[in-house]
Amino acid sequence: MSIRITHEDIADLCKGSVFLATGGGGDPYVSQILVEKILEKHGPVDLVSLSDVPDDAFIVAIGEVGAPSVSLEQLPIGTECLDVVDRFEAWVGKKITHLVSFEVGGANSVIPLIAATTKKIPLIDGDGMARALPEAQMMTFAIEGVRPTPAVAVDYTGGAVYFDTEDTLIYERQIRNIAMAMGGMVFTAESPMTAAEARCAVVPGTISFALELGRMLTANFGNSVHVEKPLRELFDRSDYGILKHLYTGKIVDINRKVVGGFDVGEAIVEALGNDMPPLTLAIKNEFLVATVGDKVVASVPDLITIVDHETSSPINAERIHYGQRVTVFGIGCPPHYRTERALKVVAPRAFGFDFDYRPIESL
Amino acid sequence: MRIGIDVGGTHTDAVILDDQIVMASTKVLTSKNVKDGVINALDEVLSESGIDCHAIDAVMIGTTQFTNAVVQRRELAPTAIIRIALPSGEMVPPMLDWPDDIADELGRHIYMIHGGKTYDGFPIAPLQDDEIDAAVDDIVAKGVRLVAVVGVFSPSDPTQEQYVAARISARHPELRITLSHSIGRMGILERENAALLNASLLPLADKVVSSFASALQERDIKCPFYISQNDGTLMSADFAAEFPALTFASGPTNSLRGASLLTQLDNAVVVDIGGTTSDIGVLQDGFPRQSNIAIEVGGVRTNFRMPDIQSIGLGGGSLVKDGGATIGPQSVGYRLVEDGLVFGGDTLTTTDVLVASGRALIGDKERVADLDATVIKTATEKMHSIIDNGIDQMKSSRDPVPVILVGGGAVLVSESLKSAAEIHRPEHSGVANAIGAANAQVGAESERIVSYRSVPRDKVIEEISSLLTADLIRAGADPETVRIADIEETSISYMANDSTKIRVKLVGDLLLRKSGER
Repeated sequence: MSIRITHEDIADLCKGSVFLATGGGGDPYVSQILVEKILEKHGPVDLVSLSDVPDDAFIVAIGEVGAPSVSLEQLPIGTECLDVVDRFEAWVGKKITHLVSFEVGGANSVIPLIAATTKKIPLIDGDGMARALPEAQMMTFAIEGVRPTPAVAVDYTGGAVYFDTEDTLIYERQIRNIAMAMGGMVFTAESPMTAAEARCAVVPGTISFALELGRMLTANFGNSVHVEKPLRELFDRSDYGILKHLYTGKIVDINRKVVGGFDVGEAIVEALGNDMPPLTLAIKNEFLVATVGDKVVASVPDLITIVDHETSSPINAERIHYGQRVTVFGIGCPPHYRTERALKVVAPRAFGFDFDYRPIESL
Repeated sequence: MRIGIDVGGTHTDAVILDDQIVMASTKVLTSKNVKDGVINALDEVLSESGIDCHAIDAVMIGTTQFTNAVVQRRELAPTAIIRIALPSGEMVPPMLDWPDDIADELGRHIYMIHGGKTYDGFPIAPLQDDEIDAAVDDIVAKGVRLVAVVGVFSPSDPTQEQYVAARISARHPELRITLSHSIGRMGILERENAALLNASLLPLADKVVSSFASALQERDIKCPFYISQNDGTLMSADFAAEFPALTFASGPTNSLRGASLLTQLDNAVVVDIGGTTSDIGVLQDGFPRQSNIAIEVGGVRTNFRMPDIQSIGLGGGSLVKDGGATIGPQSVGYRLVEDGLVFGGDTLTTTDVLVASGRALIGDKERVADLDATVIKTATEKMHSIIDNGIDQMKSSRDPVPVILVGGGAVLVSESLKSAAEIHRPEHSGVANAIGAANAQVGAESERIVSYRSVPRDKVIEEISSLLTADLIRAGADPETVRIADIEETSISYMANDSTKIRVKLVGDLLLRKSGER
């Protein structure tokens, strides 16, 4: 069954994508109004399920890379996605048959729709993270051995930089630093895949899932006690498999600093009306580890999402402040992140923590 | 001696302060022309105190006229926007997400030209004089007289906005211009909206400011007067005529500042309990703590410096249901005096519970004499826990804080509060807004994105401070008293090179001249 996305779906899709962004991914507001406008003009997009992708497909991932807060001041042109597709095709000498998002968490859930509707290139229902994560080597594409390049990054001048390396760690270093020199935010086309590669490397169904999640949050607007049951049912039916209520309480302390380009912080949530020890969250752009007392209750690559207790709106890590009443949910990561080679790059040790990953359902 | 005036939609309040002592206070009806209400209020406080008008050193006025104009879509003049950003933002034009009714009021006079700067100050595209000139000529041809100008990263580097303004003025000196960097913060859409709203209010601002001036003149008050702004600081009358939008949240701010003056507390939580809601704000070093999220004014997203106010659905008219277990958010509001039980109505409200508990004498207590004791107990506990929770969410550390209760519904708090270290109920709290206005200082702030690797932190702060000091002196501050009130730094996520957003705020005491010196 194919899912059609219209301009009226974008607000819900963004809401779902912020929930899956686990505190990262930035504020998608500018992308939301841009994509709404473009879809209204060029028409809806039908998502293609991975199983319907023909064997001879040539699939390319597109999205934006850089600092989301920069693009709240320096807006995108709106056509970078089209440019990046043209540049990529011209350089590689091959037509892209299908696009895929590299990150469902945050603005990159909707950015590929711009190229999909304008250039009428089918968009795959799926992505390369199933959440938000900070670095290219953490994408399922890289984990499953997809070469990150040929890749193209286009900036606000319409100018481009071309990448050709087979090492994703090197690509990550290049793109991060070059993005800074290109105005802080670039649009990229990267990780070209065959259909066979995409079938193992793309996490299926995440875009339509984010939309369904957003719709559910809109329909069940209210406090998190009220939303928990429909949320649990929704995640149970999905590749995420499980959603657990981890904690409800109040933010009592928050501190952050920058280490190596990352916003590293800690937030402490204290329970109200019972003697549970406080929950501590470690934050590096996203929420990475949740601990109650000495016990880790959820860790990356499983998802940790914080919602406002009264409205169930997901809260971005940059917006956490003292006094908020919050509910913390832990969500299982899809099977793509549970393999040995995935855990090498996304387990807690990959973020500098000194313990091994244990799946959320066993905690 | 100072006079503070608060011109609200319904009431105009005035106070005379001698240093920090309230000499006289009054509440009169706001007049349609603003001026008569101000004159009435002045007459009342001057005659009540017997103070000679020549003894007044300064008059401070807070007003909601401009907020009301935006919310009610009235007296907004047609306004053009020139955005210096192309090629960036091409498909996200100005006013894209505005409600239609207010966008229509301003007209959709949208001009996008090449230019702007990146986060690190590199030009996005060169400015083109012919583009600027063509836009301006078209604006003039349409008969539009007001122009807002916004440039990418102008809060860090305003030179392009200034260049465009100078070019406009040279070509068409009759146009009035608002530059976005002088009114808003990072976040181009919100800052652009702020500049547009401000420019469209300029004709009304002339009218309001001159009616204040002529009210004072008619009563022979010759001292300078000031208008209070969102962040609890003052602007001169001339400055207010240029930046009316800076008054948008001055009401709650003045209420907080007034509470601070009345209690002599600089750090406290202020709860203003009305008929339908309680507004909770936080005083930090004598100023309201500011919100850091986008705030809509009349449906338009802005990022004005607004106090962080949490409204909770509890007031003197809140409905009491479920045997006292549910209170609010529904309220009988201003109909309390008809619908409340103690006033002869048949709706159980928080005020009725209070009267039944014997802690206040309002209306006819016989009418609640047989209210069940468990209901009274449950409802009283619930009211306190609602307020307690509200305070707890707002206070900035886990320790109990001093709490200042103001507003007509303050009597609802009849017991202690867990979150409160102490509870203050100041006298004159009904005119806290006017007192807050009279007590305001002058302030200025600026924000930019910097890398401390290339410019040391001290140097950044010094540079921003010296620019702001000049602004403050222009706004009427005594140079001797100017100090840094606040430095806020936020690291920018996903950036490779340690960029930090820094916001610096300076305040200073008003330089009071002797009357007649003006």
